[in-house]
Amino acid sequence: MPPRLRCTASARGLTAAVKPSRPSAALLRPATPAVTSAARQYATVSRGLSLPDDYVPPTKPPTARPGETRKAQLLRTYTSLLRTTPVILLFQHNNLTAEEWIAVRRELKAGIAAVATTGDASADLASKAQLQVLRTSIFDVALKLVEFYDPSKVQPTSAPTATGKRVKVTYNHDLSKAAWKAVRGVTMGETKIPETSTYAQLSPLLVGPVAAFTLPAVSPQHLAAALSILAPSPPKFPAPTRKKSPGYHEPITQSALQKLLLIGARIEDKAFDMEGVKWVGGIENGLDGLRAQLVHMLQSAGMGLTSTLEGAGKSLWLTMESRRSVLEEEQNGGKTEEKKAEA
Amino acid sequence: MITRFITEVQTAFNPFSPRAKSARLFLSFLPPNARSSGMSITTRLLPRASDAPSKLYVKFRDGKELNIDADNMGIKSIIEEVDRHSRILQKADDLAAA
Repeated sequence: MPPRLRCTASARGLTAAVKPSRPSAALLRPATPAVTSAARQYATVSRGLSLPDDYVPPTKPPTARPGETRKAQLLRTYTSLLRTTPVILLFQHNNLTAEEWIAVRRELKAGIAAVATTGDASADLASKAQLQVLRTSIFDVALKLVEFYDPSKVQPTSAPTATGKRVKVTYNHDLSKAAWKAVRGVTMGETKIPETSTYAQLSPLLVGPVAAFTLPAVSPQHLAAALSILAPSPPKFPAPTRKKSPGYHEPITQSALQKLLLIGARIEDKAFDMEGVKWVGGIENGLDGLRAQLVHMLQSAGMGLTSTLEGAGKSLWLTMESRRSVLEEEQNGGKTEEKKAEA
Repeated sequence: MITRFITEVQTAFNPFSPRAKSARLFLSFLPPNARSSGMSITTRLLPRASDAPSKLYVKFRDGKELNIDADNMGIKSIIEEVDRHSRILQKADDLAAA
C-alpha cells in the first residue's frame, strides 16, 4: 500500500543520495518516479468507486445557507414548532436567573399535571407542554417562512443518483434556496405583508427577551391551568393556594413570576392578546363544551324555523277549515230549511 | 445602565404596537435582583386595540421624577437620559464616602 501523502522525507533521502550537491532542488521536486506511479495506481482504483461530481446525498439536500450551524437547525425547530403547535403563549422575561427558571418550570409542570381530565391524552399533553426561551430573530424568520412560503409550489430539479442516473427531485425544505428567496422577498419588501396576516400582528411582539409556552393541543383546561400559574388574574384564573402548592409561594418563584409578562399568543395560527387568551382559557368544558353549545344553538334555531314554517300552513289550514265548517253549516241549514218546507 | 439609584419604575404599553419597543427593552435592562433590592416596578399592559402612548416613569432616590416619552425615544437615548441623573447621584455618593 503506497502512502496517501507524498512522503517528502523519503524522497528527499533518495534524491539526496543521488545528487547530494543540490538539496534545495531536490526539495522542490515533487516526488520520485516510483512514488508517483504508485499514487497513480491508487487513483485509478478509486475512480471505479467514485460518485458523480454533482452528486447530492439524499440525506443532505442542498441548503441556501450552511445547514449545519446552530442557527439553521434552530430555524428548522421553530418552523416545525409553528406548524405543529396550536397554542403558543409569548412571554417577555426580564432577567430571570437560572434558579427562578427552574422554580417556574417546576410549578408549571405541577400545575398542568394536576388538570383532571379523562383519557391518556391529557397525561401526554402535560408532559409535552413546555416553557422555552426563544431566539427572537430566528423565530421571526420562522414565522415568515410558515406564513409566506408555500413548499408545494417549488418546481422540481434534476439531480444525479449514486449510479449517475438523473432523477427529478424537489428541494423545498425550510433551508432550501426557494424558502430563502421567499423569506428574503418578504424582508426586503418585494412581497407585500398584508395587515391582517398573523405575521404582521405578531412581529411587534418579537422584541427583546421572549419566551414561549407551548401546548401541543388546544385544551382550554390546560391553558387555564398554565395561565393561573404564569399570569394569575383572580376571578377566573386564581393563583394556586398556599396550602395546595407551597412551592408556588416561595420567594424565588414569586420574584420569577413578577418578571414574566404575558404579551400575546398565537392560537391556531391567529394572534391573540391577553384578553383573547383569557377568553380561550375560559371556555368551559373545553372544545366539547363549545360543540355542545353550537349544537344546542342550531337545534333551537331549527325548532324556531319549523314552527315559523308550520305557522303559515297552520293558519291557512285553520282558515280553510273554518270556511269549510261555515259552508257545511250553510249547506246543512239549507237542507234543514228544505226539510222544513217539505214537512 | 446605572440602576442603583432608581427607586420606582412605572410602565404601561401595548405590546402589539411597534412603539412599545423601548419601554419593553427598558424593563429588560433592570437587574434580576431589582425588586428584592427595593425598587418597585409596576407594568400595565394596554389592550391590543388601544392607541394610548406607552408610558415610562422613573423615580430616583433623591425624589427626582422623570416622565420619559418612550414612544418616540430609542432605548439608547432613554438610558442616556436616566444615566445623566444617576451619574450625579453617584458622584455625590462617592464624595460622601471619601
